[in-house]
Amino acid sequence: MSLGNLASVGYFLPELTVTATILLLILMHVVTKSPRSNAFGFLSLVGVGAAILLSGIVPAGAGKSIFEGMAAYDGFAVFFKVLTALATLVVIFMTMDSREMDGRSQAEYYIFLLSTLLGMFLLSSATDIVMLYLSLELVSIPSYLLAGYFKGRERSTEAAMKYVVFGATASGVMIYGFSFLFGLTGTTQIAEIGRSLAAGKATLPMLLASVMVAVGFGYKIAAVPFHMWSPDVYEGAPTPATAFFSVGPKAAGFAVLVRFYYTVFAAPDPGSALWRLTSAVDWPLLFAALSAVTMTVGNLVAVKQDNVKRLLAYSSIAHAGYMLMGFVLLSPAGLKAILFYLVVYLFMNLGAFYVVILVSNATNGGEDISDFAGLGSRAPFAAVSLAVFLFALTGIPPFSGFIGKVYLFAEVINRGVYWLVVVAGLNSVVALYYYARIVRSMFLDEPTDTAAIAVPGVPRAMLLLMVAPTLILGVYWEPVARIASDSIRMIAF
Amino acid sequence: MVSGILDGLWLVPALPLLGVVLNGILALFVERPLLLPAAGPPSAAAGHGHGASYRTLVAFIAPGVVGAAFVVALLCVLSLAAAPPEGRIFVQVLFPWIQAGAFTAPVAFQLDPLSSVMALVVTGVGFLIHVYSVGYMSHERAFARYFVYLNLFMFAMLILVLADNYLLMFVGWEGVGLCSYLLIGFWYEKQSAADAGKKAFVVNRVGDFGFLLAMFLIFWTFGSVSYTEVFAKAPLLSGDGTLTTGLATAITLLMFLGAAGKSAQIPLYVWLPDAMEGPTPVSALIHAATMVTAGVYMIARSSALFLLAPDTMMVVAVIGAATAIFSATIGICQTDIKRVLAYSTVSQLGYMFLACGVGAFTAGIFHLTTHAFFKALLFLGSGSVIHALSGEQDMRKMGGLKKRVPVTFLTMFAATLAIAGIPGFSGFFSKDEILWKSFSSSMGSPVLWVVAAAAAGITAFYMFRLVFLTFFGTSRMDPEVEKHVHESPWTMTLPLSILAVLSVIGGFLGIPAVLGGAFGVPNLFEGWLEPVFRRAAPAAAHAAEEAAHHSAALEIGLMALSVGIALFGIGLAYFLYRARTEKPDEIARKWPTVYGVVFHKYYIDEFYEWAVVRRVVRGADWLWQMFDARFIDGIVDGAADIVRSAGDRIRRLQGGIVGGYAFSLLAGAVLLVGYILYRSIVQ
Repeated sequence: MSLGNLASVGYFLPELTVTATILLLILMHVVTKSPRSNAFGFLSLVGVGAAILLSGIVPAGAGKSIFEGMAAYDGFAVFFKVLTALATLVVIFMTMDSREMDGRSQAEYYIFLLSTLLGMFLLSSATDIVMLYLSLELVSIPSYLLAGYFKGRERSTEAAMKYVVFGATASGVMIYGFSFLFGLTGTTQIAEIGRSLAAGKATLPMLLASVMVAVGFGYKIAAVPFHMWSPDVYEGAPTPATAFFSVGPKAAGFAVLVRFYYTVFAAPDPGSALWRLTSAVDWPLLFAALSAVTMTVGNLVAVKQDNVKRLLAYSSIAHAGYMLMGFVLLSPAGLKAILFYLVVYLFMNLGAFYVVILVSNATNGGEDISDFAGLGSRAPFAAVSLAVFLFALTGIPPFSGFIGKVYLFAEVINRGVYWLVVVAGLNSVVALYYYARIVRSMFLDEPTDTAAIAVPGVPRAMLLLMVAPTLILGVYWEPVARIASDSIRMIAF
Repeated sequence: MVSGILDGLWLVPALPLLGVVLNGILALFVERPLLLPAAGPPSAAAGHGHGASYRTLVAFIAPGVVGAAFVVALLCVLSLAAAPPEGRIFVQVLFPWIQAGAFTAPVAFQLDPLSSVMALVVTGVGFLIHVYSVGYMSHERAFARYFVYLNLFMFAMLILVLADNYLLMFVGWEGVGLCSYLLIGFWYEKQSAADAGKKAFVVNRVGDFGFLLAMFLIFWTFGSVSYTEVFAKAPLLSGDGTLTTGLATAITLLMFLGAAGKSAQIPLYVWLPDAMEGPTPVSALIHAATMVTAGVYMIARSSALFLLAPDTMMVVAVIGAATAIFSATIGICQTDIKRVLAYSTVSQLGYMFLACGVGAFTAGIFHLTTHAFFKALLFLGSGSVIHALSGEQDMRKMGGLKKRVPVTFLTMFAATLAIAGIPGFSGFFSKDEILWKSFSSSMGSPVLWVVAAAAAGITAFYMFRLVFLTFFGTSRMDPEVEKHVHESPWTMTLPLSILAVLSVIGGFLGIPAVLGGAFGVPNLFEGWLEPVFRRAAPAAAHAAEEAAHHSAALEIGLMALSVGIALFGIGLAYFLYRARTEKPDEIARKWPTVYGVVFHKYYIDEFYEWAVVRRVVRGADWLWQMFDARFIDGIVDGAADIVRSAGDRIRRLQGGIVGGYAFSLLAGAVLLVGYILYRSIVQ
């Protein structure tokens, strides 16, 4: 049974905290005379930190449907809330450390950032297609603003423009798909839709709906061919925002993808621990093909990039491809592998972006691989950290990315989808090439400027905080794996 | 199940680890900046300048943590001893480490009589050697780095002996191997030291390969790597035919390969003499008292498996006896004081394996313990001599030191009497136990006894040769060296004295029944360890206890005979190196071939160089130039070209025109719909 509005408030504390923080930020912006102050950043840190602490843990069987069936309060949602909030936390630190943001108004930036976070919270718990659409837009619209935050900068404006056009097209297609579902079943509750569809036979509108929704979600996780926006946006946006896009909204996109498809087009199989398809639409195969294409295109194009931000954009497309493998398996172990991968991906990807920001700070906005030349001697700590992150992203032991890939690949093999694992394996080899290019430049190429780059205390500590899990999770990952497998519990109602 | 104080068992390995961290911080942040060229001329300034206070800190931390570990271990063992003999096993599970399918390996420690003997020997002797090192290494520039390695070694060694499963044991096994490598090559600027470290590492890898395969087979057979499970299942599985004798033989032979690598047995002993390139306290700790005995410990620990494989037992016994006599003969002709002791260690380890091979595991562990005392003492004593002689290691340039370094002389002399097997000293009890068991056990044979007894005679001979050449006679020292001869500081002589006491009285822990029985003195050592080996193999426990068939008179007689052989060896040494000092050279001239072969250590190193090293190098060369550079690189380069050109083409799709992007999205959606439609129509 779903709880009423008043009774639900108690399960809505993280969202309320973030909302309150946004309101406070707006208030502060009106009152204060110095919109460039770091105070906005600190306030946001406190708000997001409090939201994490208030998220709590959902014991097995304690999941609830809240707000008259609009959203879910379950382990799955809480996992993604904590994950996206953590990413936001790191990004706030990045923003404060980034010289790119100096001399600009900070207030709106953090308001947009936290609004996106609120959208991601809602997206990962939405159980009603109206709610789902609204929260998707709540993620998208502040993202457009973040991408275009440098009003004067041509690339930034262009990125925002493209993002808006592309995003509008994608959500248009998606909501068209939703309308089919509503027309077919007469309800907006995804669980109801699922039951209703399972009772009937497969029809053309159902097929269309499943594909059209895939377009909307595919756009959010930047799966090929719905990825076109991401390289331009990643390159044009402020680097902290790019880091944010590559982790936060992508994770939330996976959350809604899993919840929607596993509720609407599949149901838990009573006979085994797996899920079974409830309609004749073979969407797992569809997404398996998308997964293969996504990782291949992402990796192949990354090979030719010289701009590190753009390179990481393509690489993050490839990582979405790897994670999609876990999505198509209809097994708990597959979902667990995605969640585990998202955790390690959070640290290694944000860590890599952190170093990009530090280098860009020191080289007047340089973002090309050649700007990283000789970093090994100019800033050894940052260079070694980046090497760790890049090797982890490649999936080389003993780093965390390797364990993440082991879980994904093992389950794909376990479920017998051998061709996909072959594609993924080949892709990992290609990935090594472009990641190693940066490492080579850092340690083997002579820098044009040999002056040492000072890394101040806060970024140093933050790097250490991200290197540590990247190393530790490569050796001792049991607790996080346990959290991941506990967190695949979605409420069924 | 006993608990309480035992819950602190984890502290035993954790304390040395704490030392690693603390000393590591000092080494990285205080010592290294001092040693860097930028910090000044690379003189002793680093040691005696303003940074010297950190050395005092290191000198307290490093021995301190090991001493504390010894105290904790002692309290744990005493608490364990309070339990009835059958209940003397305590397992502390710290946390699950690896869980994958049916495979689980926790980080867990097991304290039972066997591991408690090892833990006490390791921490006790280790503590003394740490104290000694403070004095011995006082002039060393990389003082903190040395103690980081030494503490790390203690940590790894304690993991090895306290682990409750084979995988964790393997972690310690590799850890001590790493530390051994680091410490042998401690003076890495010296080519020979770096080479010796490498040699030790590579030779050990051969053994580790065996250990790994054995572990795989164990998991495959038993579905577990935990000692308790494996040993409990062994009799059952061998009863129902799952664990055939062939399989047991394969597992144990592979384990023995690992043990032979770690414990320097034929054919993998070659690294140990070279390991003497490391600092002398390291030789005492790692290459005499503790690490090299890990192989013996492993076999004793796995006695339940070894007893199921009689063929392996025979191999172990034969290799042990062969190693004992073979390396003893090499010891005769060595002139470097540490190398004599190194070959002696190889030989004594052979005795321990002989004991295990005839099923007398208790005797093997007993000898391991007494050997730890007297061989550590011999090495530390030789270190004290080397220290006094400003680094001279050649015995031909010593002599007459008796009065100049009295404490060193007295303590080393006690150890020599112990290793030679003079009644009353510790080595007598343990070695004689092995000799008797190799004769009387159902797995023994008179041939083994003869070989072992002969080796004992040779041992007595070369040890007294060492003592005579070093301490007696007239001085052959360089005058320059002689001026600086001095007795070592108390930090070095105190450990020597304590070890000397242990070397003398340590044997009374295990008085054989034939001697002690009459006076009502029990064999404490055997009584303490007995539950372990009885639990491991109840039926076979008394396989080595065949004494009933032999009379006490025979045992006493053989004992007297072996003492006689030892005395003969001592007498011969006196004759050649005290009475008629010109004789040895005459003998060498008379039989140049025999002398040459023994002097060159039977040309084994040369043979390995020719048969293995050169061939491997040549094969690797071919693989590199032909297979790798041409074939593999060709494929790789070709694949890379394909990838790059594909990337280039796909990149062009991203034209930057937003209308094109929207088109690709819609085209993608249409393609997907088309694909699904096609599939549903086909079906």
